[in-house]
Amino acid sequence: MTNSLRRVAPQLWVAYSLTLLCLILLALTSQDGITLDRVLRILSNAAPLGVVAVAQTIVIINRGLDLSVGPIMNTAGILVALMSAAPNASLAVTIPIVIVTGAAIGLVNGLLLAFTKIPPLLGTLATAAVIQGIYSLVTRGQPRGLIPAELRELADGRLLGSSFSASLVIWIGLLIVVGLLMGRTVAGRRFYAVGTNPRASWLSGVPIRSHTVFAYVASGTLAAVAGILLVSYSGAPSLTAADSYALNSVVAAVIGGAALSGGAGGMAGTFAGVAVMSFLATVLNSFGIPPSVQLIVSGAVLILMLFVNGRISRARSRT
Amino acid sequence: MLKAISTTSVRSVTRAGFLWAVAIVVVVMAAVLLPAFRTPVSVNSLLASLAPLLLIAIGQAIVVIFGGIDLSVGAVAGMATVVLSLHTIVPGGAPAAVALAVAAGLVLGLVNGTGVLLGINPLLMTFAMAGVVQGIALLLQVVPDAGTPFDLVKVLASSFGSVPAFALVAIVALVLAWLWMSQSRTGRVIQAAGYDQRIATRLGLPVRTATLIAFGLSGAFAALGGLAIVARTFTADALVGSSSVIDSISIVLVAGIAITGGVGSLLSVLPAAVIIAVVGQSITLTGTDAYYQTIFKGVLLIAAMGLYQLSGSTIRLPWCLGLRARDRTNAQASRELKE
Repeated sequence: MTNSLRRVAPQLWVAYSLTLLCLILLALTSQDGITLDRVLRILSNAAPLGVVAVAQTIVIINRGLDLSVGPIMNTAGILVALMSAAPNASLAVTIPIVIVTGAAIGLVNGLLLAFTKIPPLLGTLATAAVIQGIYSLVTRGQPRGLIPAELRELADGRLLGSSFSASLVIWIGLLIVVGLLMGRTVAGRRFYAVGTNPRASWLSGVPIRSHTVFAYVASGTLAAVAGILLVSYSGAPSLTAADSYALNSVVAAVIGGAALSGGAGGMAGTFAGVAVMSFLATVLNSFGIPPSVQLIVSGAVLILMLFVNGRISRARSRT
Repeated sequence: MLKAISTTSVRSVTRAGFLWAVAIVVVVMAAVLLPAFRTPVSVNSLLASLAPLLLIAIGQAIVVIFGGIDLSVGAVAGMATVVLSLHTIVPGGAPAAVALAVAAGLVLGLVNGTGVLLGINPLLMTFAMAGVVQGIALLLQVVPDAGTPFDLVKVLASSFGSVPAFALVAIVALVLAWLWMSQSRTGRVIQAAGYDQRIATRLGLPVRTATLIAFGLSGAFAALGGLAIVARTFTADALVGSSSVIDSISIVLVAGIAITGGVGSLLSVLPAAVIIAVVGQSITLTGTDAYYQTIFKGVLLIAAMGLYQLSGSTIRLPWCLGLRARDRTNAQASRELKE
């Protein structure tokens, strides 16, 4: 028992302590305390961030960073609206096409970063600019189309009369599946190996380039799913709605103990990261604090967690 | 053999000759192909848009030569425009607001530097700071009674003939920064730290002070760039600098300043900025969709980074999420053995 407890990364303890703290804060600041239903509702609204944080975590574990997730999410939203407006459009066709588009953008990122030594942050920043330019050009700055009612049901509807919304189930499902794949299978553990030491992995026969490419393809795919969830939640496509998700997904992953030097972090931590951020945002909202302060808070939390996690891993490597 | 790394020598200036030639060709081509480009109004607007690009790129170049990077320049520039609009509240009026804007930039830069000293990756530190600064600027933007000080902005936006005052300021600042970087003790320490931070530290050079100076200057130059933006647009907007990040990094990379630090000449920032500004101006003048400019910038950034790889030099990436320190020194040692 103590052995298995010790195997839990200290960053994970920090992340879940923070989650508990935010939960207590949430209970204290609202009049009727917290109910399971309310917590589930908050988490369900955080599903787009949750899914994109899963994407970001995969890339960060692989020692990368994907800043193009925001524009990919916008692209997904715009595409969904555009294709649904066409006559005899059906979601069964639209959604696969949108997801494949996300994967294709991820493939471009992956090939770009795997075969050159361009730093991931700058490379994805550049592709983000290109994607933004392209969809602004196509939509002429004014996204059109409509969001079908079935999609709205994804965010608002409750599954089988329970308090779980469909988007929450999608997020948690993806989280568990990706978490198990990354943590429990050989193929998944290889991403950790590549992130921890690319050269050693290469020497032991792990094809590091295809892992990098795959990480970005997975990230693009999941970002497109997150974009669909976001647009079904907001009900309107937008050129800028998802811009903050690049920063926020990194913050969520870092709170959850993902180190940007690669090889650390996991889906359990990232879940805590998303929970902390959505609880904190709810607390701030309940005080009528404007979004600009929330921007300050998420930036400050990122700096603090980078500092704390840096200290923890340095202290651990010393012993 | 160590290559010459002095950056004021005639040789290092002539090494950038290709870049200067490209810049001149771009200007001449634009002037020949676009009659509208040759008008005084167009020249004025070109130089007015060159000034903020140049000022922000100087700060970015200093940080990159130090071996870091500053992703908060856009937010700081936006912040400066907003601080300027607070002149109605600040005691001392508009001149005090200008001083306050630059001081705010300096302080934010120092905060970045402090974070880096605490062991946070510069990329992420400045990325997170960009969020914080943008939030603060958005908060300040909604302060009632604030407004752009028109009398002051008219002074800032004054021009001599078709040369805006701020363009002159930017070019003078660039030359001063270039001389400072290559001839002063501190400038040399920044270059040395960028070339190899560990060796610079072991030689007893004041690397920690240099960190603060490099990031502080970047913040101050970004704030100056913000003022140059106000002189052009006459509005205070927290988000106005959002394209400055990608612009300044592209300019620095096109200027041949190695993203790994320690190599490159600040003076080459000028032709690089001219290329970007002239292409932007041509896109506007030909009535091409402005969104092509965004695409162009992204592609240019990728191309500039890719070119470094093709140029064959092994890249050490001190701040990026690349090889670990040990792998790096090994690679370096084996490279030096070969040479």
